[in-house]
Amino acid sequence: MNNINEYLKEERNKEWRVELRKSMKAKERTDKMRVHMPEADPMIRNKNSEEVNKGLVLQNAVSEAARCLDCAKPTCIDGCPVGINIPKFVKQIEAKDFNGAASTLKETNALPAVCGRVCPQEIQCEATCFYTVSLKKDPVAIGHLERFAADYERNNGNTSVPVVDKPNGIKIAIVGSGPAGLACASDMAKWGYEVTVFEALHEFGGVLKYGIPEFRLPNEIVDVEIDVMKKMGVKFRKNIIIGKTLTFDDLREQGFKAFFVGSGAGNPSFMNIPGENYNNIFSSNEYLTRVNLMNAANDAFDTPVISGKNVAVIGGGNTAMDSVRTAKRLGADRAMIIYRRSVEEMPARVEEIKHAIEEGIEIMTLHNPVEYFADEKGRVNKMKVQKMELGEPDSSGRRRPIPIENSEFDIEVDTVIVSVGVSPNPLIPSVLPDLNISRWGTIEVNPETMQSSVEDLFAGGDIVRGGATVILAMGDGRLAADGMHKYVSEKVKIN
Amino acid sequence: MADLTTKYLGLTLRNPIIIASSGLTDSFEKITELERNGAGAVVLKSLFEEQIILEAEHNLKEAGRNRLIYAEFSETLDYIDVHIRDKELGKYLDIIKQVKKELTIPLIASVNCVSDIGWTGFAKQIEKAGADALELNIFIMPFGFDNNCDEIEQKYYKILRKVKQEINIPVAVKISPYFANLGKVILNLESEGANGVVLFNRFTSPDIDIENINVTIAEVLSSPFEMTNSLRWVAILANRLKIDIAATTGIHDGKAVIKQILAGASVVQVASSLYINGISHITEMLKYIESWMDKKGYNYIDQFKGKLSQEKHSHPDVYERLQFMRYFSKLK
Amino acid sequence: MYRVVEKEIFSESVIKLVIEAPEISRSRKPGHFVIVRIDEKGERIPLTISGADEKKGTITLIIQRVGVTSCRLTDLNPGDFIRDVAGPLGKATHISKAGTVLCAGGGVGVAPLLPIVEGFKKAGNRIVTVIAARSKDLVILEEQIRLYSDELIIMTDDGSYGIKGLVTHGMEEVIKREKVDMSVVIGPAVMMKFASQLTRKYNIPTVASLNTIMVDGTGMCGACRCSVDGKTRFVCVDGPEFDAHSVDFDEMLQRLGAYKDKELETYQEYLKTRS
Repeated sequence: MNNINEYLKEERNKEWRVELRKSMKAKERTDKMRVHMPEADPMIRNKNSEEVNKGLVLQNAVSEAARCLDCAKPTCIDGCPVGINIPKFVKQIEAKDFNGAASTLKETNALPAVCGRVCPQEIQCEATCFYTVSLKKDPVAIGHLERFAADYERNNGNTSVPVVDKPNGIKIAIVGSGPAGLACASDMAKWGYEVTVFEALHEFGGVLKYGIPEFRLPNEIVDVEIDVMKKMGVKFRKNIIIGKTLTFDDLREQGFKAFFVGSGAGNPSFMNIPGENYNNIFSSNEYLTRVNLMNAANDAFDTPVISGKNVAVIGGGNTAMDSVRTAKRLGADRAMIIYRRSVEEMPARVEEIKHAIEEGIEIMTLHNPVEYFADEKGRVNKMKVQKMELGEPDSSGRRRPIPIENSEFDIEVDTVIVSVGVSPNPLIPSVLPDLNISRWGTIEVNPETMQSSVEDLFAGGDIVRGGATVILAMGDGRLAADGMHKYVSEKVKIN
Repeated sequence: MADLTTKYLGLTLRNPIIIASSGLTDSFEKITELERNGAGAVVLKSLFEEQIILEAEHNLKEAGRNRLIYAEFSETLDYIDVHIRDKELGKYLDIIKQVKKELTIPLIASVNCVSDIGWTGFAKQIEKAGADALELNIFIMPFGFDNNCDEIEQKYYKILRKVKQEINIPVAVKISPYFANLGKVILNLESEGANGVVLFNRFTSPDIDIENINVTIAEVLSSPFEMTNSLRWVAILANRLKIDIAATTGIHDGKAVIKQILAGASVVQVASSLYINGISHITEMLKYIESWMDKKGYNYIDQFKGKLSQEKHSHPDVYERLQFMRYFSKLK
Repeated sequence: MYRVVEKEIFSESVIKLVIEAPEISRSRKPGHFVIVRIDEKGERIPLTISGADEKKGTITLIIQRVGVTSCRLTDLNPGDFIRDVAGPLGKATHISKAGTVLCAGGGVGVAPLLPIVEGFKKAGNRIVTVIAARSKDLVILEEQIRLYSDELIIMTDDGSYGIKGLVTHGMEEVIKREKVDMSVVIGPAVMMKFASQLTRKYNIPTVASLNTIMVDGTGMCGACRCSVDGKTRFVCVDGPEFDAHSVDFDEMLQRLGAYKDKELETYQEYLKTRS
């Protein structure tokens, strides 16, 4: 810990930072209003897959960066799961050293363009910003600035490749190319390891590609970040299912010394109510994978998707929002969210809910489906919902939904997307009987090192957390890289 | 040779001893043992609405404590009670399916209801899984002192009605005796469609430990003296009801079984007695009944069932005597 | 990229492709399948691995031309490449010593049946195989499957080869004349439904290999879900083989038809471009 504080202090005391702080009075900085992120027009954007948030223009980014007071004790960093040196990159933006800012981001964050778009900064770095905590004002738009720096670098063809240490010839295997695996691979590669990422699907990126829609995170951006990693020397192999195509023993025989498992929580949950297996009722995973990964909405691509005029999405999280907004873009007249609690309890990001409402999504809170009905071909055509009221909070703090007697009524639907959670992919736990698994099916790990009960196997991301965020997965990947690095170094010493 | 074959809820049982919903009936293995030891039928340990809620709560607490599991804003955590209920119900249905597949003993599923909302979907799935009958164990806890009797009673009928609408297998209702107009309530249950009544539910009771000065639980197992209440009511109702009566609480030996049948019960449900004496006690009880029947010259249960029920008895008021009157006037 | 090394045309609609996939050929067991995607724009489809050669590093796929993807796949020739082949997926067949095993294959279902017949034969069982097709030229793998069968009965709808009749007729003949301990049925969903109804009548434990729609094939989307004994199961990770008497075949048939309209449309478009 002390090393980090020392390092932060050292950076902060560099001449350019000192000069920059002096160049504007604190009051001038705090008097500025927080920048507004330009958004595409809701009634236009709800018919296409253009990014909703358009990104800050240069002058506004610089101006926003000036709001940052470059605190001696930067509490913003405390809120960041990967420990980005936030004041440094923000001040670099103010100083118009945008490429420098991007490099700073990449010191700790392998996917800055991704995080700048999908991180819930409002509960992370921006929640602990001095503005929020002490001044009770809008925080510095750290997320928007992160995105700005990463986009600037990419758009100007300056994508920097982080420096890597001399190769040490030690082979590391990463299972899963989602955010956890990518973050781990990135750090290991920086330290000179020979890293191979194995992916079961035919594209790399995991949930970044198949789960998050184009209008929030264009797949092209994910590819650019992965390209950087390839330039760092990371090998990527697709269509390999570890545990089936190759076993861990196969990999050990091939000389891999340690493993990071980031296979995710892709197993979709259903509600198990009558009629749920009728046609045109999908898990959000299936729906989004067809549209985002297989480009099903594009006729030039072979994979079909069925997305009708009256679409109901069950759930209230980010995945539900992604699904319902996708359905709208695919032509739904009515795109509805059916959520059994109220807006306050919805797990989705406030920004996503706001965007959804702007786009014409109907948010039906305090409703829960109880049964589905179908036509003679087995296609869903009606859904029976029951109204709910909220009772006492449960142990998570969310108020309990209680069905209201005799409140059932039918809604016409032709497509239903069930988005009520996911559970960990059971494949790897099933092939490793020595691996300790929790009651939720997640891999149990030491939270300090992310090491599992199998000594050369580390894990992170949704396979450990059950269903969390991109940035938490990345934090795990980084922590595991640390743990793996120590483990391998000791092993090599012994041998 | 005495034939102990009995009919209950339209099902044919090899004898009138049913093992009540308890820790003795909560797994396929245990039910296999009970079948082997001669039980006439088994009531599968109740699926508790409350228990599912508690399990979900427990999971949420665990998730909250473990800082890695389920980020605050997780969709899975949001619907975890749905997933748990699903899993618990799934396990319950699995036991039913396995019993029906591999054993021949009649299986009565059991659900504990504490409210009249939300769970009735279980009944259909229980029927689909193959249960021979369903026992509804209803006790609506009167919250506070505001509800009036009628409102509470109506909830019982509502649950029964809802369940009867959903399924075709026989439904028995198990109740406590705590009603002002108990007789009428039971007659109402019959007219609302119950195929049988189970008299009576026995509650866990509080006790006080004066040494450690705290509240504990009173003796969990019943004692034979507790049989008298159901005995009285079985006798009073036996000829007024067309449906079957299952007597329960305090039936510990063959003698007690005979008493209840004489009063008019079709079957009895036992649990505590087996906890105390072991499962093989079933055989003892059956032997006793057989030998009594042989002694008295009865070949079939029907020949003595209800012989001493109130209407049949020459002095019916003997069951209604509540106060002791002249019996105890002097201390010995 | 996975190279096509061999191609054999069994009939106008059934074609065999041998593909280079060394890692898959090594870890593959009977019952496994792969997910194939021809190119960038292609869809992911499941195909059972009907054979593998570990020395050569190849796997064998037998494909029926029923739509755009299967047609484009079978239009490939040795030397062409398939972009993505992922596997081996699914649970391998549980091979046991049961006694007499009645194996029934309908149409192209004979292809996935072959390795299972081989597996059960090698485990010491007596194998009676009934294969069925609409007509003579749709009968496939006759010699290969005869190799591992103690008796082979061929049924054709039109009587152009073997005995005239449905696969269930052939099966019932066998059941009536000898004790059958177990049965394996693979073929179109409708065929498996009726074949398993037959074996249920005679209380013969039966395994069916389901062929549902799939997208990822690794258990993450639920497109392949079916009801087995009232519970929802994923064919790609819990199957593809299940206790046939517990499978809700009607629901499976309903779900198989989900994209029928779209599929027909694109297939007709495709045929137009080829003519």
